[in-house]
Parts: sequence; C-alpha cells; structure tokens
Amino acid sequence: MSEAAPSPPQAAVGQHSDHGPLRRTTAPGPRRVRGPRAGYGFVAPAVVFFAAFFVLPVVYAIYLSLRGAKLTGGGALGIRRETWVGLSNYRDSLTDPELLASLGRMLVIGAVAVPVTLGAALLFALLLDVPRVRATRFSRTAIFMPYAVPGVVASLLWGFLYLPSTTPFAFTGISFLDAPALFGSVANIAVWSGVGFNMIILYTALQSVPRDVYEAARLDGCGEWQIAWRIKIPLVVPALALTGLFSLIGALQIYGEPQTLRPLTSSISSTWVPLMKVYRDAFATDDINGAAATSVVLALGSLLLSLLVLRLAQRRTRSSS
Amino acid sequence: MRTRAHIPLVLAVTLAASLTGCGGGSEPTADDPVQLTYWSWAPNIEDVVATWNAENPEIQVSVTDAGGNTDTATKLVTQTRAGNAPDMAQVEYPTLPSLVVGEVAADITDLIDDETLDAYTDSTLALTTFNDALYAVPQDVGPMMMLYRADRFEELGLEVPTTWEDYARTAEQVRQLDPSSYLGTFSTDQTGFFAGMAQQAGAQWWSVDGEAWSVGIDDDASLAVADYWQDLADRDAVQVAPILTPEWNAQVADGQVLTWPSAVWAPGVIEDVAPDTAGSWAMAPLPQWEEGDSAVGLQGGSSSIVTTSSDHPEEAAEFLSWLNSSDEGATALLTTVNNYPAATAGQEAAVDTEPPALVAGQDDYYALAADIASDTLPVTWGPNYNVTNAAFADALGAAVEGGGTFRDALVQVQETTVSDMEETGYEVTG
Repeated sequence: MSEAAPSPPQAAVGQHSDHGPLRRTTAPGPRRVRGPRAGYGFVAPAVVFFAAFFVLPVVYAIYLSLRGAKLTGGGALGIRRETWVGLSNYRDSLTDPELLASLGRMLVIGAVAVPVTLGAALLFALLLDVPRVRATRFSRTAIFMPYAVPGVVASLLWGFLYLPSTTPFAFTGISFLDAPALFGSVANIAVWSGVGFNMIILYTALQSVPRDVYEAARLDGCGEWQIAWRIKIPLVVPALALTGLFSLIGALQIYGEPQTLRPLTSSISSTWVPLMKVYRDAFATDDINGAAATSVVLALGSLLLSLLVLRLAQRRTRSSS
Repeated sequence: MRTRAHIPLVLAVTLAASLTGCGGGSEPTADDPVQLTYWSWAPNIEDVVATWNAENPEIQVSVTDAGGNTDTATKLVTQTRAGNAPDMAQVEYPTLPSLVVGEVAADITDLIDDETLDAYTDSTLALTTFNDALYAVPQDVGPMMMLYRADRFEELGLEVPTTWEDYARTAEQVRQLDPSSYLGTFSTDQTGFFAGMAQQAGAQWWSVDGEAWSVGIDDDASLAVADYWQDLADRDAVQVAPILTPEWNAQVADGQVLTWPSAVWAPGVIEDVAPDTAGSWAMAPLPQWEEGDSAVGLQGGSSSIVTTSSDHPEEAAEFLSWLNSSDEGATALLTTVNNYPAATAGQEAAVDTEPPALVAGQDDYYALAADIASDTLPVTWGPNYNVTNAAFADALGAAVEGGGTFRDALVQVQETTVSDMEETGYEVTG
C-alpha cells in the first residue's frame, strides 16, 4: 500500500482529493525553494576537503603509476627522468614475488590478529555486561587505555619486551623476534592496541538491547552463559560485522608495527608487509612510480575484500532477522 | 562600478611592491642575510657552523640533522621532487652517484674555485667527479681500520690480530675465555662495511668503460669475504646482530664487544653511544688477507652537495668551500667533529692534534691514520647504490633468518642490482 506524502498538519482536516477545481489549497507550509541550496552550502566544505585530500591524491597516484623513470642524457651516469610507460608498472608489481610473499605474511598476521581481537573484545564486552559485575568503570578504562597509546610507542614498548636482553619473558624460552614467533609478536601488538576500541563498540551495542529480553530468558530458566551465547551474541551481530570490517581493513594496512620493530631484528626485511614494500619503493629505492602502482593494486584489493565481507554480513543479518 | 575603477591601480601598486622584493642579483648584506639550510649528521657540526655564522653575518647557515646517510638521502630525493630540499646536504660517497642521476646534486664545477680544488688529491676528487663535472666537495674520508678495547685485550691476554686468519682465531679464544663477550659483531645491514672488505679482497663492485657498466657484486673476491663471515657466524665466533641499536650500545658500554672493524671516523661514534668507555680503546690497522699487505678500502666518508633546489648556489658553494677545504674549516672538522678530513691541509694538521677522547693515550693515532689513508684502494660507485643497499640488508637478513648462505645472498643482490640498472636503461655488460 503506497503511503501518501506527508502533508502539513493544518491541511489534514478537510483535505479533498487532488483533482478538481474544488481542491482547497493547503495552508502555506515551509517554503521549499531555498531548501536544496542551503543543503549544498552545508555540504560544500566537506566535499571540498574530500576532493582535495582524498580524490585528488588518488587521481595523482594513478597518474604516477602510469609513468616511470628512464635514463636520458649521455655519459656514464646520465639523468633519470619520468616518462610515460603505460601499464608496465602494474605488470611488474603483480609479478613481483616479494609482493606476493609480503601479502602472504600480512594474511598470516591478519588471520591471527583479527579473530583474537574480536574474540577478546566480545568476551570483555559480555563480561562487563553481566549483572552485578563489579569494578566496571575501572575495567573499561584499563582495557581501553592501550588504544590511547600511539602506534609507534606501543611497538617500541613491546619491542623492548621482546628483545632477548631486556625481556622479562626469558623464562618461556621463546625467541619473540624470530620467525615463526615473530608473526604472533607483531599480531600481539595489534591485538593489544585494538581490543579496547572494539570492546567499547560491542559493549555499547549490548547496552542498547532491551533488558526485558533477558528477564524473559531468565524466567524461562536460562543461565548467564546461555543468555550470552544464544541471545546477546546474535543481537550484536551487526556491531560485530562493523568491528570485523574495521579490523580487517586495519590488518590489510598493517605498517607501523613491523616498521618500528625493524631496527631491532634482522628477521624483518624492508618488504615484510605490502605497505612496507610501497614505502621502500617510493622512498628508499627511488621508484615512486612502481610504488604508486603497488598501492593502487592494494587499494583495489582491499576494496574488493571489504565489499565481499560487507555483502556476507548483510546477507547474514538479513537472514537472521 | 566604483570598485572596478580601483582595480587597475591596486594591481599596479601590488606589482610594483612585489618587484622590489625580487632583487635576485643584489648582494646580501648583514641586515639582509642570505639564509641557507644544511642537512648534516656529523657530530657537533652545529659548533662549526656557529663559527661560520659569527664570522659571516651576510650568509647565515642553519643546520639540521635529518638522520643518518640512508635517511638523509631518501629525504633529499623526496624533498627535491617537492621542490623543498635544503640548500646543502651531507652525502656519503657511495650514495652520491644515485643523487646525481636523480637530479638532486647540482653541478658545481663553475662554483668552486681552484684554491679549493688544490686542497684535495686527485684520487679524492675522483670520488665526487662524474662525466668531468664536479658534484660535491669532499668532506672527510673513511679509510678502514679497527677499533679495539685495549684494556680488555690486556685483561684476556689477547694479541691484536694482523690478518683475518688471526682475527678468526682470536674470536674463538674470546668465546672460550669469556662466553658473554664477542670479539666483534657482523651486522646484516652494513653494506658499506661489507663493500669495504670486498674492496680490500680485490673486488670491484662497479666499473664503467665509457658508458657500459660492469657489476661484480658476486665476483670471487666478494664471495670469499662472504664465506669468511659465514664461517665465523656458524661457529658463533662473532655475534650476528644489527649494530648501533640500544641493545648493541649497551653491550659495548659493558665491554662485551671487543673490536669494531670500521673506519677512521669510528671513535666519534663510539664516544656518542658509550661515553664511559673513553680512554679504553685503541686503533690498529685493519687485518689483512695476506700477511704484509697494507692497502685498505674506504667505508663511508662524506661529501657536501649543493642541491638543485637551492636559490643561492654561489653562497652555498662558498660556505662548503670554507667548511671542507679551508684551514679553519678542516681543522674544525678534525677537532670538533672528529672526522678525518679529506683536505690534505687538514690531514697534515691532524698529525699534531690530540687523538680523539675515545682513544686518549694513543698519541700516534693521527700519524697512523695518515699512513692508512695514504694506502687506500680506488673505488667506483654505481648509479643505484640505494637499491643495492636495500637488497643487501634484506638478502642477508633472509639468509640469517632462513638458514641460507651469505654467498647466495650476494648472488641475489647482484641480480637485483643488475636488473634495476637494466630497467632504468643502463647498458650492463658482464
């Protein structure tokens, strides 16, 4: 049944049908003429910033990726100048074994970090939501505090906790900065930093669940564990999907932790994760065009992966409601 | 309509006012000094620059430490692209060709007078001259030698090794006498050190004939050097770890690292990281492959460039000439910065100077340094040393990590370097 457009309240009384000369004109409502223009005015600053700091750099990166530095001039050294090279940067980037290896390492770290972060965040949020739990405010602050520590500081902190000569965990006998433990060590820093933020989101989602659902469940004889498993978790699936997407994107863009740990160990190469390779190409080996091509490839890959995850999450939410 | 009439007048006044500001050809005066920016990581360089600023009010220089060699070179390239580079910068000799090729270093052949050129030997100038054009003013040179802990050697009853075979034997001895110490550290990211050792063994990593390049990073001499260090690493006779990290610095301060084979600029660096060990170190010539040889390679050593982004190249060249080749500047580099000057006048003055604080007590330090400096091997650096540097650290790190050999790592570096040169358009033969 289609709904009529909402009409001003005064016209509701005595409104005849739309056609015919007996149609009573409605009382003058708010003038609509200035509406659209005011809207554009409010949105304009955001659009300007978006275009200047997001769209333009992306366009410039795509432009750079289609060019390359070739030798001009004579003599033994010559000069490297930028010229048009078409898609050869993309071909080089996609067939580079180092890029594939770094993607593999990134996926391993992501496979460790994302489930652990979300699992821990969900667990903490559920624990804080249990009735009659004590010290909630202290716990919330304590769990959230690592998120406030800047990434580089967190990496250095954990770096010194991992170094063989300064670590207090020497009794475990684990060599934190050598593979294979290295993946867990890097993932650990990401987990430590990210749990607090995700926990807050999930906790807030839990707070918005009406309490009488739990009352009804308890009357039916559910224990706390069953309430958590069968009621709370399904109800926060949308929030879980959101935090999952954020964590996934964060894992795809992992950079600060390995880059900061790199001077402390020889196990992290300059191309350990894809973004480190982009940085090295752009700045250390003076191949900014190749780096632009790699970053466009990475961005497209991240976009596709995010769309896939969103599509899956929407399907699940739709099927469960 | 009234507003429009004013516009031509306003424009004319603004134009006239702006023209007075662009007096590019006017001489700088003390009231309107030329402001130059200089990037340098040399220790205590600010004091030397302050001397210049006091004596030259019309050319004022401000110095910034942009990080070590690799960081500075990286930033120079990015800043040049942005048109924002400093007027002058310190650049190590191996990195200089890649900056020439990247259009970062300006051609200063016409800006440097003969008096400055006469201050250097031909072989020193060869390090900064390409295609018959001068691109940098040599600042210091880094002939390789070995710093060692004289007190710990005496304590453990060790003899200073004169050949690399001796060095290996002494390394084993140290591990037996004091399991918490090492004779030395083999670092996987010191391309410069390895290149210097390869030079000493007779390798030529780059050579050019006309316009055709040859790359020999994995030639027999370099592979022999790789095998030597591989052997020591496998026997745990030397430590394999990055140097100049907080961890390594702490070990040096504790006396657990007994030698640092490096170059003449080393005392200043160690004094920075482990000042309490001053006075306990001494310097000896670098061990040789054959008993009786004396030639060594060069490790590091810097020059000063004028960048292509500079608006005042003449004033910049004037400052750099003073800093690097004048008596006052070269002596300041020697005594304040603890560098070994490239200018012959500076090297001669060095013989009468007190040794650096780290090796206080070794009165013949600079005489020995002069001997070593007079017997260094010539070297040519390729146009993509930055690529080689990055590949070297990665390849050696992967070898240490995954159990590969240093030999294979060198072959990998050779392949990466050659393919990058060919990709850019260089002709690479052999």
